Amino acid sequence: MTPEGLFLAALPEHLLLLGILAILVTDLVSDRPRDPFLLSLVTVLAAMAAAIGLHTVGHVAAPFPGHFSVGPEAFAGKALLFGLSIPVLLLARSEHFDSRFAMLLLSSLYGAGLMLSADSLLMLFFGLEILSLPLYALVVLAYRRPESAEAALKYLVLGGVGTAVLLMGISLTLGATGGLGYEHFAAALAGGDMLSRGAVVLVVAAFMLKAAIVPFHAWAPDAYEGASVPATAFMATVVKGAVILALVRLFGDAGAGPELLAVLIALPLLSMVWGNLAAMRQQGFRRLIAYSSIAHAGYLFFALLGLPEARFEAVAFYVIVYGLTTTLALACLPAGEDWLRDRLDSLKGLYHRDPRSAILIAVAMLSLAGIPPFPGFVAKFLIFRTVMESGLVAVAVLGLVASYLGIYLYLRVIQYMFMSPSASHSRTLPAGPVATAAAVLSMAAVLLIGVFPGVVLGWL
Amino acid sequence: MSEAMALNLLLFLPVLGGIVLLALPERRADLVRGLSMVVLSAQLLLAAWLYFQFEAGVPGLQFETRIPWIAAWGVHYHIGLDGLNLLLVLLSAFLGPLVVAGAFTSITKDVKLFHGMVLFLQFTMLGTFLAQDLFLFYLFWEAMLIPMFLIIGVWGGERRIYATLKFFLYTAFGSILMLAAVIYLAFTVLTQDGSPSFAFTDLYDLGFAVEVQLLLLAAFALSFAIKVPMVPLHTWLPDAHVEAPTAGSVILAGVLLKMGTYGFLKLGFPLFPDAAQIATPLIMTLAVVSIIYGAGLALVQDDIKKIIAYSSVSHLGYVMLGLVSYNLLGVQGAIIQMVSHGLVAGGLFLMVGMIYERCHSRDLAAYGGLAKLLPVYSVFFMILTLAAIGLPTTSGFTGEFLVLLGAFHAAWPQFEAGATYPLVLVSVAVLGIVLGALYMLRLARRLLFGEARAPEAEGGTLRDLGLREKAILAALVAAVFYIGLFPNDFLQKTEQAVIEYQERVWPARAGEGGQ
Repeated sequence: MTPEGLFLAALPEHLLLLGILAILVTDLVSDRPRDPFLLSLVTVLAAMAAAIGLHTVGHVAAPFPGHFSVGPEAFAGKALLFGLSIPVLLLARSEHFDSRFAMLLLSSLYGAGLMLSADSLLMLFFGLEILSLPLYALVVLAYRRPESAEAALKYLVLGGVGTAVLLMGISLTLGATGGLGYEHFAAALAGGDMLSRGAVVLVVAAFMLKAAIVPFHAWAPDAYEGASVPATAFMATVVKGAVILALVRLFGDAGAGPELLAVLIALPLLSMVWGNLAAMRQQGFRRLIAYSSIAHAGYLFFALLGLPEARFEAVAFYVIVYGLTTTLALACLPAGEDWLRDRLDSLKGLYHRDPRSAILIAVAMLSLAGIPPFPGFVAKFLIFRTVMESGLVAVAVLGLVASYLGIYLYLRVIQYMFMSPSASHSRTLPAGPVATAAAVLSMAAVLLIGVFPGVVLGWL
Repeated sequence: MSEAMALNLLLFLPVLGGIVLLALPERRADLVRGLSMVVLSAQLLLAAWLYFQFEAGVPGLQFETRIPWIAAWGVHYHIGLDGLNLLLVLLSAFLGPLVVAGAFTSITKDVKLFHGMVLFLQFTMLGTFLAQDLFLFYLFWEAMLIPMFLIIGVWGGERRIYATLKFFLYTAFGSILMLAAVIYLAFTVLTQDGSPSFAFTDLYDLGFAVEVQLLLLAAFALSFAIKVPMVPLHTWLPDAHVEAPTAGSVILAGVLLKMGTYGFLKLGFPLFPDAAQIATPLIMTLAVVSIIYGAGLALVQDDIKKIIAYSSVSHLGYVMLGLVSYNLLGVQGAIIQMVSHGLVAGGLFLMVGMIYERCHSRDLAAYGGLAKLLPVYSVFFMILTLAAIGLPTTSGFTGEFLVLLGAFHAAWPQFEAGATYPLVLVSVAVLGIVLGALYMLRLARRLLFGEARAPEAEGGTLRDLGLREKAILAALVAAVFYIGLFPNDFLQKTEQAVIEYQERVWPARAGEGGQ
């Protein structure tokens, strides 16, 4: 591989690395704390532009054969993850922003980039760790209450368990098939012996933990609640998207054997049901988003049941839509003290205090509920069509019914905003200008995708 | 302007109006109301013009627009008029301005949001009727819930939250199974034809095995039957009607309930003809049960809104009975009955709203002798009551008479062949007319006659109808009589589409019971 080839294939990642270094250096040489916001925004934009550009020209390369390769799907996935982190950056800017946040976020994105280009379990492991480690710090970074530290610790411990499980699975794959490449994992998927099955189950379980699938979900509500709003948005959208897109890449053209299929049906289904049911009882907005993200992880995992060629499109479209709408909802939360704005009943009567935010949150909620004409519907349609196409009609119907359970929780938020009188403690503190920019950006994207879903689908 | 363009404009006028509405200041309620009134009146004019341009006897769609939308999935923005949706589009457009005019004085809170939602609702309702692509249809069908959810939930009565959640969750449950069926259809088209499509005409030609058809019809029918509503899926309706503001009740009764029957007519039965034939006895039974049960419940209610709500269950039972007769008389009667019920029930809900604004009570026991207190009101109320009963010269007569005639025509050959059940059902349905007269006359007698009393009437006097209210009711009553006296034009324009429906669903029966 020539140096130019390496430069070009991993250009988005290089740009991220450059940005991280630039932020670090300016932070070191300057004696006053500097605002790294613009720098990080430019970095992410440049990385996204590079990914889109390379996707457009159809660049295909394997600078490290068997470990790292790029193609249209990898670039599309990176572009959408980087794109989703732009509103997150804006959101963070309106809350609190420093060079630590910027560096951690960019490092995490770097890990996401590696995961989407990995061709071996080793590279995947690197990527996943680079993605995860900054997150533990991100959760405590903005901490405004003691629970944040507890949540971060819980996340760290469970994340560590996930890492261990993944490593165990990787070792078993090596033992069963004699290699660490994705083709070896595919062989393990196809293999019927105990060792191969164990390897596959452990790897899949690790991914389920990272994506918060029931019963590996317990960390998510605490971590989301303890983290600041932008960190929550980042975990719920970019991280979850990266994990599932990486899993789709790992599965490649392989299908699941009957035993694994049962797991891949039952646990996501359980996630949808439990996520939706538990979300109904939440009093905090971020906990609600956490449980809703558990249910949405279930829908995303369902895409794995589909035919190999249909999976990426379904997951990528879903991640875009789900990420944008979740960010939109979080960006529109009224500003104020953290514990207060997180309370769901602070949203009561919001329409009368801040009609614009109320309408935008309502749009996000309806989209998350999968109600047309909002793009969440098209995303849901695509996922369940993928499942049905692979012949699992009954499973798709069960999934749709499980998704029905989620409608009430989103309606409840709308009911609070439009139909309830303001609670005594709620005050009129509209979201700040930068958060509004994040909201407007997400909303514009949501509308565009809603009206022209075909354009996005054609691009993927 | 070409007719096709006019049809697109008709559909998107409320959206354009809504965009302008966003720019208006919240406190200028007069501007908001005026704008909605202008937009919806323009829509009515367009609809009327299109109605006159519509040619009878031409097969297929007229004024069609078909543009690829999601190319990879074969989804098209595809709308058009045919004999099945023509009258319902006209009905929706007709009720639009009346709803806004009726809300001039009753909606004073969040006026801008309210009119935004009415325009949104109008857009989705017309979209549902006009859509000729299943994906588009589903989009509009489901999106319709959002504005209605807010209309009931924000401006409704005391138990509005309960009622609106019940409405949304009930109907959404039906929709989710329909969505499963829609996805199944989509992927069957892909495997059978090799190219994706959601066009109704492509879907009609899919030959499914009967067992599959039965499952798919069940999924569609559940969704449609909840909307109609057919007993035993009707329990959301009284709550929604009672708690909804007047405008909500009028749209609900006037147009939304017809979505269910229109769904059966346009999609449910033609998509799955073999299953429809098998299910016909069951649907007939449920239709007749709805007629009798709805009428029976209406007879014992004391809440005026509930009486009219249950009467809707009964009246839409006739529509279903007409649809499953599969002959020209019965199906055309069903279409006329849909329009007639929209006008009559819509009018009655408006009148309940008018008296509620004056006296703040819907309790029948609190009223009496309004004929003395509100003479003009009483005249209008009596006319609509008689139309609801189905007195000749009113629209109610045309609809119910044709439905029953059609149902008899369908049942008689079966009776001669030895099957008595259908004939018994039709005979019971005729009894429903008597029950209808009983509950409506009970309502009118207790409301209009007897000792004059009304809650909150100062010094025993009440303000009678104003000019605005008279105009609204006069328009409704004129339409009721027009259909009652001159149904011919309506019948001619729907005939061709009904013949196509018959031939698609049950060709063997199409010959029977012609005109």
